[in-house]
Amino acid sequence: MVTEQKKKTISRLKTMYSLRNKVDESYKKGLEAMKAGKPTVWGMLNAYFGDPVLKAMDVEVVYPENYGAALAASGVAQKYLDCADADGFPTHLCGYSRANLGYAARMMKELEGEIPPEAPMGGMPKPLFLMGSTIICDARYKWFQALGRYMDVPVWTFESPIPGVKERFMEGSYERMIELGVKNLKEFVAFCERLLGRKMDWGKLDETVDLMIEINRVWHDINEMRKARPCPVHSRDFWSAMPPALFLMGELKDTLQCYRNMYDEVKDRVNRRAGAVEEERYRLMFAELPPWHSLGFFDRLAERGWNFVIESYGYHPPRPVDLSGVKDPLERITRFSLEVFVGFYKSALEDNVSAASFAYPLMGYARDWKCDGALLHPLISCRSASTHLPYVASLLMERLKVPSLTVEGDIVDLRLFDPEAAMAKAEPFEETMEHYKRIRKQEGLDW
Amino acid sequence: MAKNATGLDRAREIYQDRSRRARELKAEGRKIIGYPCAYVPVEIITALDLVPYRIYADIEEPVTEADRALPAAFCPVMRSCLDCALKGKDDFLDGVVATHSCDPQEKTARVWESHTGYPYFHFIDIPGTIRPEAVEYYEGQLSDFKKTLEIFAGRKLSQARLKEAVQLHNQQRSLVRALYELTKPEPPLISGTEILQVIKSLLSLPVAEGNALISQAIDEVKARRNGPGKKPARLLTWGATMDDADIMDIFEAGANVVMDESCGGIRPFRTDVKLTQDPLNGLSRYYLKDISCARTFREAALGETTKNYAADIESRFGYLKAIVRDWKVNGAILILVRFCDPFAFEVPSLRDYFDSFGLPSTYVEYDYTKGSLAPLRTRVEAFLETIIR
Amino acid sequence: MYFAGIDIGSTMTKAVLVDTGGRVVSAVKGPTGPEHRRLANEVMRMALDQATLRLEDIAYVVATGYGRLNVPFADRQITELTCHARGVFSQFSDVRTAIDIGGQDAKCMKIHEGRMVDFAMNDKCAAGTGRFLEVIAGTLGIRLEDMGGMSLKSAKKVQIASFCTIFAQQEVIARLSEGEKVEDILAGLHDALASRVAALARRLKVEPDVVLTGGVARNAGMVKAMKDNLGCELLVPEDPLLTGALGAALLARERATEAAARGETVAAKARRMEKATFFK
Repeated sequence: MVTEQKKKTISRLKTMYSLRNKVDESYKKGLEAMKAGKPTVWGMLNAYFGDPVLKAMDVEVVYPENYGAALAASGVAQKYLDCADADGFPTHLCGYSRANLGYAARMMKELEGEIPPEAPMGGMPKPLFLMGSTIICDARYKWFQALGRYMDVPVWTFESPIPGVKERFMEGSYERMIELGVKNLKEFVAFCERLLGRKMDWGKLDETVDLMIEINRVWHDINEMRKARPCPVHSRDFWSAMPPALFLMGELKDTLQCYRNMYDEVKDRVNRRAGAVEEERYRLMFAELPPWHSLGFFDRLAERGWNFVIESYGYHPPRPVDLSGVKDPLERITRFSLEVFVGFYKSALEDNVSAASFAYPLMGYARDWKCDGALLHPLISCRSASTHLPYVASLLMERLKVPSLTVEGDIVDLRLFDPEAAMAKAEPFEETMEHYKRIRKQEGLDW
Repeated sequence: MAKNATGLDRAREIYQDRSRRARELKAEGRKIIGYPCAYVPVEIITALDLVPYRIYADIEEPVTEADRALPAAFCPVMRSCLDCALKGKDDFLDGVVATHSCDPQEKTARVWESHTGYPYFHFIDIPGTIRPEAVEYYEGQLSDFKKTLEIFAGRKLSQARLKEAVQLHNQQRSLVRALYELTKPEPPLISGTEILQVIKSLLSLPVAEGNALISQAIDEVKARRNGPGKKPARLLTWGATMDDADIMDIFEAGANVVMDESCGGIRPFRTDVKLTQDPLNGLSRYYLKDISCARTFREAALGETTKNYAADIESRFGYLKAIVRDWKVNGAILILVRFCDPFAFEVPSLRDYFDSFGLPSTYVEYDYTKGSLAPLRTRVEAFLETIIR
Repeated sequence: MYFAGIDIGSTMTKAVLVDTGGRVVSAVKGPTGPEHRRLANEVMRMALDQATLRLEDIAYVVATGYGRLNVPFADRQITELTCHARGVFSQFSDVRTAIDIGGQDAKCMKIHEGRMVDFAMNDKCAAGTGRFLEVIAGTLGIRLEDMGGMSLKSAKKVQIASFCTIFAQQEVIARLSEGEKVEDILAGLHDALASRVAALARRLKVEPDVVLTGGVARNAGMVKAMKDNLGCELLVPEDPLLTGALGAALLARERATEAAARGETVAAKARRMEKATFFK
């Protein structure tokens, strides 16, 4: 009998696929809604603020920043980047925004509102309104404002507070953040009611919010299990499974069940000590946006025993907070969302790190998930996801003696990521990681 | 250097050595609070008897230290500010106040705070919109800023003192507006370069001294006969910051710059803070709503459910049309440093707006190094060649 | 009376003399020289000799190009953008879009009724200029002037994706080692450069007639690649290197004529044919 030599790649969770499929389904849903004459909304990552409201009002949301990745992967992005360039948008601007602006120019100016035939996944229909936010980067709301050049659609901009670390703990500060969120949401509901011509079903919103909280609680617990050695879930599965929780995709009761199923599968792996890679030689953290089009790169690293056990804070569900005593669903949403923005501030204060902007949580991750190294991926046209990385690298080294490897790329110009060059750096980095394992031992750290 | 230089001469002097007065005051026992952005409410600093000092970047200083914390693809202005701080160039400061005006400032502030050891550091969060709940939240942020500054200054701030400070700073605003009145004649009585030097200087002085400086400058300019010569174009410059006289020189080689819509020009001074019962009200409204910086999301009507592009750009940029009319501007230069996102997104829309009433405009970009000024010259000259017959 | 235009570029200095009727009486090209701009006076002297004229016979001199600011014998400096536009218009009266690809920069000019009304420039990135081809020619050991002809032999262009000249060199070597044909790689290189210049041009909304000038316009492969990328016909002047100096000379004539009409005498400069100096 001849036994085949099996390649050591990443062991994907069976329960990941149903979650991943919800992403494609949500685009389809958007197109179906358009065909049925129902409104769709173009949204930005809004950290659970606007999504539950729109979900409860049965409005489909598509996310141009996610679509940007599809444009890049399909090779169509360049055409739209050229459009944006020709229209005078400076070339250093966020690649996703330029691709989307170019898409809008093509759809509205050239094709008079028809979806471009070359657009992948059936394209994105003209929206009823644009739901922006101020989270993480200026582009998020300036981009939607700039779309006004091509589409006369209203723009809503959500506030996302980002106080200083010590400033957050001043008397009354947190309460004022909650008030901001609740009032913002109230106005948003009124805005949606006016645009949609119907009233919010508050019972439905209650239910939607509870489902959102529960989905993310389960998802949070799944990720906690990745602290196990060996880690049962690779980042590739995280990235595939995260969108339904982050963007509230799919029919939520079903989505919840999918995560519960995943929880069971992961628990089982933990009990059996089954890791996501066959031989976990190194535990890695990844920050920030992965090279969506080249995820096979991680399989090659997996062959070398690199297990990616944790990744970008911004994609992760917030730490669960007991909100059962909070009656107002808008307040529950706000408190839940604030956990994302400032939930880690207490630890940051204790650890005396003032760099919020999601740099500090990565330090917590490296420590709690016991990482041997960090793979940092700066993107030339996404400064928000890149500028804190040098700081993160020095923070990890200074505080935890965890080394970082930097590999450049881009969100739309995919030629910038060179997997061969990156693989060439992997081997010497393994030596670096070995070296720092020894250093950490000497310093009394327990991994 | 003449100790008794006044007006324009004093401005030129200070421009060459900005921190001199602040260092003198510090030696006398005063406390100096630095701030890198027009969004910081200087009235609160003045009212507590502290000296506000506007931190500028330095185009002549090659960035070396900031490399370990901020990558090269980053707003060069904030990067330069951090670089200077890390090199100890602003070691005379007792504290720094930074804001969430834009991403680069927000991100730089964190590193700035953790890598330097000022006795005082405060970060003011600024919401992105001007909705009523945003203004409320922002007022809370200003109140928090006031609290920590009170602790640092060792005294409580009375409303009366704050009102006085508001009036003093409003006086400064009104004086700068009066200075810009002097560019209305043809030829203008004062050049864009001179105004830039005056503004940069007055922001390095305590407010009363700054007011005296502008008053002197205004009197001088009105009395003198050797003002700038008439050039064939009258320009409006628009951008985020404008802090280097060499750049103004490039524009003014072939034109008169009669209005500079930037933080080194009219922007921090265009309107006054409304004096309200609780001065913090007026301050929060002014700083959030009245500073015409691209970082704030504005729309024709709050929460509007219909949208019209022409109405939208009119509501956002309409004040510029009045300027163009009143200052008889015949060309606009949109000038940005590379990586300035909030303003960069506005460029096509602003140019659409200028097109709508026939004002020629051009967009130029530079990377905030002396070397990038030569290509800038070619573009500016070429633009002037298209508008001048 | 005669009028002179001198275009001091990074690699070549060009001088053109025209008469009162705007006809070219001499046209000369010479290397700017490694010492940059110092040989402008030499080229001017050659132009004068060719027409058997002296500097005193020239009523007005316009200098353009990088070195325009420090030409002691110039009456006026005008940017190369305006000069190229004027020069192109004199040869192609229906031109609306002019594209100039030089050794170290690329310029696009929008022309309306003979006047430049808008422009776009790249002088920061070598990959969007003639330098790109020059560097690769060196890598391949081919003569720059042969590249275009060779690229036209290609039936299937090889995509060169690197946006940086240095990385493109590596990419070229990699493709060669994979067995790709030189002409196919050259076609890809020409396409890469053309797509970058076309992107620059599209900021001005390309309208016919479209004229291509500059040293790179002598490269037939680039002319084809530009046509393909812009999706329209291209006109190329007989001597694409001279448009700047020609435009400068014609503008010199215009300025002098306008001054005369206003009753002014052009400031009789005690012109001395000195070497140009570096700018401070």
